[in-house]
Amino acid sequence: MSSEWIGQLRSIEQQFDRERESVADLRSLEEFRNGYLSRKSGLLTVQLQNIRNVPPEQRAEFGRVANEIKAKIEGALEALQQKISTTEGNAALDRDQLDVTLPGNRRRIGHRHPLTIARQEIEDIFVSMGYTVEDGPEIEKTYYNFEALNIPASHPARDPKDTFYIADDVVLRTHTSPVQVRTMEKTSPPVRIICPGRVYRRDAADATHTPMFHQFECLLVDEGITFSDLKGTLERFHKQFFGEQTETRLRPSFFPFTEPSAEVDVSCVFCNRTGCRVCKYTGWIEVMGSGLVNPRLYAFVNYDANRYTGFAFGGGVERYHMLKHNINDIQLYFQNDIRFLEQF
Amino acid sequence: MKISYNWLKEFVDIGVDAPTLARELTNVGLALESLDELEGDSVLDLDVTTNRPDCLSHLGVAREVSAIHGLALRKPQFKLKEGSKLGSEVVSISIEDAELCGRYCGRVVSGVKIGPSPDWLKKRLEAVGMRSINNVADITNYVMMELGHPLHAFDAAKLEGRQIIVRSAALDEKLTTLDGVEHELNPSILVIADAKKPVALAGIMGGAESEITNTTTSILLESAHFSSASIRKTARTLGMSTEASYRFERGADIEMASLACDRAAAMIQELAGGETLRGMIDVYPRKPKPVRVMLRRDRIPAVLGAPVDSDIVHRIFERLELKPAGAAQGWTVEIPTFRVDLAGEEDLLEEIARHHGFDKFPATLPPSRSFGSLLPQEARIRRLRNTLSGAGYSEIYTYSFSNEEMERRFYPDIEPVRLRNPLSEEATILRTSLIPGMLSTVQWNLNRGARNLQMYELSKVYWSGGERRTVILCGCGNLKSANVHEPPREFDFFTLKGDIEELFEEFDTPMRLTTDNIPKYYHPGRFARIGHLALFGELHPAYAEPFKFRQRVYLAEIDLDMLLASSEGRQIDAIPRYPAIRRDFSLLFDRGTQYAAVQRTIAGAGIPELVRVKPFDRMDSGPFPETKYSLSISVVYQSTERTLTDAEVDAFDKKLLKNLEERLGAQLRT
Repeated sequence: MSSEWIGQLRSIEQQFDRERESVADLRSLEEFRNGYLSRKSGLLTVQLQNIRNVPPEQRAEFGRVANEIKAKIEGALEALQQKISTTEGNAALDRDQLDVTLPGNRRRIGHRHPLTIARQEIEDIFVSMGYTVEDGPEIEKTYYNFEALNIPASHPARDPKDTFYIADDVVLRTHTSPVQVRTMEKTSPPVRIICPGRVYRRDAADATHTPMFHQFECLLVDEGITFSDLKGTLERFHKQFFGEQTETRLRPSFFPFTEPSAEVDVSCVFCNRTGCRVCKYTGWIEVMGSGLVNPRLYAFVNYDANRYTGFAFGGGVERYHMLKHNINDIQLYFQNDIRFLEQF
Repeated sequence: MKISYNWLKEFVDIGVDAPTLARELTNVGLALESLDELEGDSVLDLDVTTNRPDCLSHLGVAREVSAIHGLALRKPQFKLKEGSKLGSEVVSISIEDAELCGRYCGRVVSGVKIGPSPDWLKKRLEAVGMRSINNVADITNYVMMELGHPLHAFDAAKLEGRQIIVRSAALDEKLTTLDGVEHELNPSILVIADAKKPVALAGIMGGAESEITNTTTSILLESAHFSSASIRKTARTLGMSTEASYRFERGADIEMASLACDRAAAMIQELAGGETLRGMIDVYPRKPKPVRVMLRRDRIPAVLGAPVDSDIVHRIFERLELKPAGAAQGWTVEIPTFRVDLAGEEDLLEEIARHHGFDKFPATLPPSRSFGSLLPQEARIRRLRNTLSGAGYSEIYTYSFSNEEMERRFYPDIEPVRLRNPLSEEATILRTSLIPGMLSTVQWNLNRGARNLQMYELSKVYWSGGERRTVILCGCGNLKSANVHEPPREFDFFTLKGDIEELFEEFDTPMRLTTDNIPKYYHPGRFARIGHLALFGELHPAYAEPFKFRQRVYLAEIDLDMLLASSEGRQIDAIPRYPAIRRDFSLLFDRGTQYAAVQRTIAGAGIPELVRVKPFDRMDSGPFPETKYSLSISVVYQSTERTLTDAEVDAFDKKLLKNLEERLGAQLRT
């Protein structure tokens, strides 16, 4: 028993259903909402205000249908709002989109020199093993550089062909060993030191020589120190520095300040002893000189040679770094080409 | 030292192949340099350490092999037939200074026929790297390679007065040696002379005049022993090094002289004919007394780390021809004359260690009785390096040597340390500053296409009184290059100054900036100093010119000791609880007014709540007179006790502006 009044409500509903498809953004949604629900002029609001003109026997029916349509419109508007906000939000994010494959905007970070890195690493290993770092002058008395190390005046190492002289009795130190003597002079055993530093030999620069380079030398003097302790210490150091797979081998050699003396080889870090060009297919690479402190040295520093024994060894910082990183020209360290330095 | 595998087998029955032998010799201290395969032979080039002249011969190396394998050593066997005439009737020998020549053995062989050597002899010498000359010269070389003792053969007919005198040269004497070089002699040089003149440089090389030639028929063989120090000195003075001098410098075996002499005479008879005159002329003023060294048994484990069986010790000594005798606590060992390196107990321990095998001793770590530590300043220096890395500076290491002219450009007043024997004229002194090294490094990199650099060096400089560490910073080009994200930013004076401020703050050092005493190498308008602690600014264009820099280069020299003297335990401020209030002003100042004056005046207003002042804009032209410039400043007030009121802050502003007006004539822009 549909009436004209109900028909009008239904046509508003139909109009709403037609129009809502074209509402695409939040602003038109607001207009659309006001078109139906605004308090003064909304189509549905105006229709509802007409209830007083509805014949009384139809009012209940009219009210029920009107509320049903209002609830439906409100629900639809809510859903529409949700849908539009999501779409608009996504569009905003779309507009923010970057080409993340472009390179980052980097700040310049400086690099420590590779020899600083290597020296610190070596120092840290020995400090962890109880050694104290010591240093000394580069301009050194021949007494400390030679005599006190059992290198007498006639020894070829003292030749001005090989050593830079500043005066008859002053040289640029040719090794860091003078620091050992200076330390022993002022300290009683136990002595457990590492002396890193800059040293000089009169070699023209080529791929394997530079007239200036860096050494580190260790000295341990105490009661009961043996050749076995030297072996164990070198093994441990090389495992720390080159990796746990590294083996250490000692071979008899000669140095005036040690007896017995030994050259120290490590298993080739490139082929792990299978043989390659770097190790000349021997599987071993010579890295440093070592030995038990020659008891004659103790006389120079007033140590009791019957009570104390000790060991000493020394290597080149450049050589260790070159081996670790397969660098084949020592001059790179002093050319300071920024393309080299920035790789560390 | 080149060793022929076949030759070695004459002295010891080697049961292993050449590569195995090479490994074994390396393990006893004769490191293999190279192994060459020749036709039917192998040549081992061994690195013989300077203390082992006894191994500069096949017999010596064979002795080591005999000790390694416990095999018998065969000495060379030969027969020498002597004639009836006495050699000493033909030649007389005398030594003037027994210190320099401890022994001189001579033999005369007459009626020899000089000619080429047989092929086997040539091959042997070639295998060990020697050239064949003639049969007699080759024999002397052969015996040297066999027994290790250098020999020389004179043409006896050319020795005036049939005399040999070992003496120091006279001041005006000259000698032309076998290599054709004429030497001016002096009394520090030991020579072999005849009645009139020098005929050989003792222990180094013979003279050309008394050389063996094809017409030689009578020869005098010399087998002598010379002091190593004297030979080394002469060889160095004359710039000569021969197989003979190499051996005498290291120490030849004085007892071997006679055997070597007889061995050579016997070979000459065999290969060049002739007759050896009767009796060796053996002038031997200094026969050495036997040297005995004590070895205590308990020192073996105490020094080497593990005991070694007494039988093994005894065997090692015997095979090395050391003569051990049992003593109460160990052994007394008689040292043969060929082992010039053995003098103390530690030397005998080494013999045991190397022949028992270094690998037989276990690897242990010494007990820890101490704690380790870095150098006292190392922690601060590492902090400094980190700060510099963070600010973009990469570290360089340059040579300590430098060019004096270059150094003096920057520090003309420092007396440099001079090298007596520099490697080149470009590097005669030790550097007095880090500037030339840094600028050369910048140049190196610019020449290789780099444009934007930030580098530092932390290293020593030297002067006649000592050496100390210092730091230099350098920057040029762009701080940040242009990229897809933003335009470039130049490294400028204020970039450098900002980095220095960062460093001074990191090391809690106050900055008191002045612009006095400008060193000549800095741009006078772009320089500042903080007392003696830091000098920084742009390199003066005139000083940049020799380096061909096409861009501004900035330098900072910083006193490292100052940074290192700062304290480690820094006082940390609490975070303020009350809000800070910022006020901005734009002010006009007279053009000569420096910011430092503005800052001082603001600080002088006496407002404890003023915590920060920062200039944020500067305009040198605008809607104001040309004699003025505009500076915008922000000031921040904050109390540690309460929130400041607007009225209080207004009063601060007023006070501050009044100060600026009265003292600097500042005008507030509105």
